[in-house]
Amino acid sequence: MISSGIPALDKVIEGLRSGDNVVWQVDGLGNYLRVVHPFVKQALEEHRTVVYVRFAPEWSILHRTPGLTYEEVDPSHGFDSFSAQVNHIIEENGTGAFYVFDNLSSLVTEWATDELLANFFQVTCPYLHELETVAYFALTRGRHSHRAVARIRDTTQVLIDLYHARGELYVHPLKVWDRYSSEMFLPHRFAGTSLTPVLQSGDASTISLTARKPPLRVKADSIAPWDSILRKLAQYSDDELTHLAATTEIQALKQELSQMIIGGDPEFKRLSDEYLSLQDLLEIRNRIIGSGRIGGKAAGMLLARRILLKSPGTTNFANILEEHDSFYIGSDVFFTFLVNNGLFRLRLRLTRNSQISGEEFDRVEERFLEGGFPDEIMEQFKDLLDYFGQAPIIVRSSSLLEDGFGNAFAGKYRSEFCANQGNPEARMQAFLRAVKLVYASAVNPDALAYRRERGLGEADEQMAILVQRVSGSRYRSFFFPTLAGVAFSRNLYRWTDRIDPKQGIVRLVFGLGTRAVNRVGGDYPRLVAVSHPLLRPEVGSKIAFYSQHEVDVLDLAANEFRSVTLNEVFGAGDYPHLELLVSTLQDGFISDPEGIHMNAPARLIITFNNLLAHTKFMPLMKEFLAKLEAAYGYPVDTEFTASCSPGKIRLNLVQCRPMRVPGGSASVLLPARVPRELVLFRATRTISGGTVSRIKYIIYVDPKAYAVKAPLEIKQQIGRIIGRLNRHPDIVRDRVIMMGPGRWGSSNIMLGVNTTYADINHASVLVEIAREEAGHVPDVSFGTHFFLDLVESRIIYLPLYPDDPQAHFNAPFFASSSNSLGRFVSHPERFEEFIKLIDVPLAADGRYAQVAADPHSGKAICLLHAD
Amino acid sequence: MSGNNNHSNPFKIAQQQINDCADILKLNHSTREVLLRPMREFHVHFPVRMDDGTTRIFQGFRVQYNDAKGPTKGGIRFHPEETIDTVRALAAWMTWKCALLDLPLGGGKGGVICNPKELSRFELERISRGYIKAIGAFIGPDKDIPAPDVYTNPQIMAWMVDEYSSIVGKNQFGVITGKPLSLGGSPGRGDATARGGMYALREAAQRLGIDLGKATMAIQGYGNAGCYAASLAEAMFGSKVVAVCDSRGAVTCRNGICIPRVNEHKQKTSSVVSCEGTECVSNDELLALDVDVLVLAALESSVTERNVDQVKARIIVELANGPTTPEADEVLHRKGIHVIPDFLCNAGGVTVSYFEMVQNAYMYYWDENEVHEKLDKRMTKAYHEVLNSAEKYAINMRKAAYVVAVARVVEAMKLRGWV
Repeated sequence: MISSGIPALDKVIEGLRSGDNVVWQVDGLGNYLRVVHPFVKQALEEHRTVVYVRFAPEWSILHRTPGLTYEEVDPSHGFDSFSAQVNHIIEENGTGAFYVFDNLSSLVTEWATDELLANFFQVTCPYLHELETVAYFALTRGRHSHRAVARIRDTTQVLIDLYHARGELYVHPLKVWDRYSSEMFLPHRFAGTSLTPVLQSGDASTISLTARKPPLRVKADSIAPWDSILRKLAQYSDDELTHLAATTEIQALKQELSQMIIGGDPEFKRLSDEYLSLQDLLEIRNRIIGSGRIGGKAAGMLLARRILLKSPGTTNFANILEEHDSFYIGSDVFFTFLVNNGLFRLRLRLTRNSQISGEEFDRVEERFLEGGFPDEIMEQFKDLLDYFGQAPIIVRSSSLLEDGFGNAFAGKYRSEFCANQGNPEARMQAFLRAVKLVYASAVNPDALAYRRERGLGEADEQMAILVQRVSGSRYRSFFFPTLAGVAFSRNLYRWTDRIDPKQGIVRLVFGLGTRAVNRVGGDYPRLVAVSHPLLRPEVGSKIAFYSQHEVDVLDLAANEFRSVTLNEVFGAGDYPHLELLVSTLQDGFISDPEGIHMNAPARLIITFNNLLAHTKFMPLMKEFLAKLEAAYGYPVDTEFTASCSPGKIRLNLVQCRPMRVPGGSASVLLPARVPRELVLFRATRTISGGTVSRIKYIIYVDPKAYAVKAPLEIKQQIGRIIGRLNRHPDIVRDRVIMMGPGRWGSSNIMLGVNTTYADINHASVLVEIAREEAGHVPDVSFGTHFFLDLVESRIIYLPLYPDDPQAHFNAPFFASSSNSLGRFVSHPERFEEFIKLIDVPLAADGRYAQVAADPHSGKAICLLHAD
Repeated sequence: MSGNNNHSNPFKIAQQQINDCADILKLNHSTREVLLRPMREFHVHFPVRMDDGTTRIFQGFRVQYNDAKGPTKGGIRFHPEETIDTVRALAAWMTWKCALLDLPLGGGKGGVICNPKELSRFELERISRGYIKAIGAFIGPDKDIPAPDVYTNPQIMAWMVDEYSSIVGKNQFGVITGKPLSLGGSPGRGDATARGGMYALREAAQRLGIDLGKATMAIQGYGNAGCYAASLAEAMFGSKVVAVCDSRGAVTCRNGICIPRVNEHKQKTSSVVSCEGTECVSNDELLALDVDVLVLAALESSVTERNVDQVKARIIVELANGPTTPEADEVLHRKGIHVIPDFLCNAGGVTVSYFEMVQNAYMYYWDENEVHEKLDKRMTKAYHEVLNSAEKYAINMRKAAYVVAVARVVEAMKLRGWV
């Protein structure tokens, strides 16, 4: 038996036991001190490890004394980070330690909801229990929702009420796990050091009635801001709110509401203050399932919509923008899901150690799919699905860090389409699966690597979800938007000087926008320079090859997302306003249709030529981008869908986030007069800028051997080997250039090494060795998620065209340098012919490699330099 | 048509070829002098209104190299790195090509310095019209007949015809060839180059006693010409195409490659590599395959001193321009490998262009079969003339082709009293 330091209490509850979490429901901190001090004193006398976990803004309940470990944790960084730190403290102090925690109620001031408080408790207690510790917690009585208290009660081993009634202090054990006596659960008068049970029923009821606490299971007036602010706002009528909008009190409430829904990012806060009204925020609140924030993606979308509607300009976007009726699954729901399904610590472990393989992740995903949601959330999900009926929806990640200023997390987390066909049960199953897959994507290897890379490994990262109606219309059995794509307010893919990079670029596709966002082998979106929409980087019949060949749709008959050929969609030839979208290829040349007549034998090529030349679409996109950039004060990266007819364009803004601009945009002075033998390569047409010195390693995938000799199965494995090298401690510590054929990150291994971001994220420079094909400037993957990753990670990206007369490639150096692959991977024999790992100082008499790239002249050089 | 030295001035190369040929024909000094220079060349600058309202001045050329045998004919190139010497050289080569096929035409070429990647469709149209306005006085069905070339296409030809017709005040479809089929183009133009090459191959095989129905074939380069050649060789002769390649690599199949499948694969992936049912080999290995016929339809200088010893084919069909270096050419000749030289082999294109002019003048259009028949006749005749010349002078087929062509131009000049 372990003593609480109060022998009378030990007697009532039959002592404490290893593994006990003791929650004291108190009506003031003073009461808590009455039990904490004897507990600590006793433990110190017994030479136990005693840890005080301090986080509340109030005064410290324990002073620094010898033997007492004092751990301060800041809850203002959010639930996730706080829980991770506490977990870490518990881990450090190991088995058998004693803990005193500050009053848990103070946490809700920071986190806004009781839900997170209960979540914290629910993930922390079992760990303490497992390590056979004894821990004291306090909770202010009557100030939290009954649901949160119930969850705490269900989790803890010991729950004791400690309150004043009629001027006296009472101790009333509510739960003492695995212990029982006939008087244990009676109120006990606590006087001096003795505890006396209240045996008389009359006395007991009097005490209970006079105690300043409502009966436990009645809904309490929670002190959590989430509830209290809404309660305060509910006191005003709509008219009053409009009338009083400028008053300090309403402004303060608005600020708090914005903080709870949108978050604390200063840039988002500025935009939210300027563009979102209290009414807007309340409307958002009404569409949140559960509690918590709506995440970066949802916030970006909402803010951008308001900016377009509010900013002055030639176009009234109210006539252009489609209405939106999205729902948001609050960020708290994510943690409740993790906690309820025993996934929180798994996630914590994965977050700390990003070395998770694809197979391991598959198993993790399975565990997520087995998880369930609380009943009240399920009720709200039902409402949501009823609302959308059988309209297709998309479940999109909208994490707290996602799409913020500084971190795009482009493509790291999932978005799942729900074709949303079938009976309500089937639709619910599909929807739940989508939500869980998005949740699981929070721990996918790519996302974890990305977070660690940016020092966000321990940052608060909760996964809110944006549930959007898929914009589009039904055509035959398919559902898709006519136009979709991504639009950037800066154009980094500038194939001619005529193009003004400050006006932006659009990657445009027919059908769902997945094709514009992702890099799809052998399929190309139309790249439209906003300053010169009618230019294109291809000439002649090459246009046909470098065009879109497949369309992403929701197949309503099959109830699934599919990529179908153009013929499958256009087969009937009656797609509305087809003449705006396609050109015909006949007799080896492309022409744009006049009217709706198209020659039957001609092949249809998606060019959007008539759309771009004869409708208001591009002027609209130009204004759209300019307005958003002006309001953000930063270049923007947007996703949109649109419908078109000759006289009318309707736009739907799906996403808006600050755009990543590569490295420095300032000029970089390239070293002059470098002896030819010291130059490893010279590249032209670079769009990244910067200088990297002291590069120790070059990973070189021989383009010729790759293309000609590598069997399919070797090609498939090369990406994995690169990934392994990328994660090798020596490579992580030193700088590395990765060079390979064609397109890195392509899913088509014929086009290039199949890698993901996590396979190349430690490279300082990534080189794509590409032969220019006559009549085409290869699409440098600009605008794809992969490219954004490179830009954000400040990885210098260089396309190297050996056929370009101004480029240079020191083939003898690459051929003659010895291959150090064997030092890094076991059984390198199968790969040595294709992958060469050059230890530069070893190959170049102690010299290192240096890369300098100038985005202005488009030139870059890689040379050997002395250390 | 050698491409042995990419960095040399192409016109110097063309002049060297004329001199070599003049030596064989023992031409006198003044005749050489006429042949060594273009007869007329036009340098024009013309304004074009750009989409943004500004005006830009573009520079263009038109070279009429030699019109002894008739109005000059040759393509118009829209290229950012166009130079007058390139245009001169190409105009000279057109002269010999037309003469070799005994077309009643001289050789010409033109170009505009511009980059189509920087131009909208509307700007391209205005440049096309601007160029025709600038050179309109010097072209015409009886003077000089342009056609599509690098970065120009049937649509551009249609704009040019329209502009020219406006200038002269009447429809003049015959001023330009390579027009869209629905605007005075000729059927059979699409595969004319490859088909012409196949007719020449048929004659060569017959001469060498090779049964093309049992022959194996490797095709280097799988662009327009290579792709047509594969289909035609199978359809016309029943030959077995056992290997094809493009810039990304080569594939083989001993039992014959399924051509429709490889075409579909190429359309999807932009390459023949990894087509189902084939094995990957290197491009060098393809050249060294033990096949009866090797079709060169890729870039210039594919067969060089370095790899010529490995070539085992009995016939080389040069559909590309300058695929064999002069040094390699000599080795092939010594090894007894029969080469159908480029400007004979790929003359099917210009021949059908000539047919287009004729049809425009007649205002009567042939069907595709008629075009094929007439092309066959021309190619067969030209092949035998070159072969005879090679035997007569004991020179290789390429030199023999030059001899036939230059001799024809010289004869016309002489008859006209120029020399």
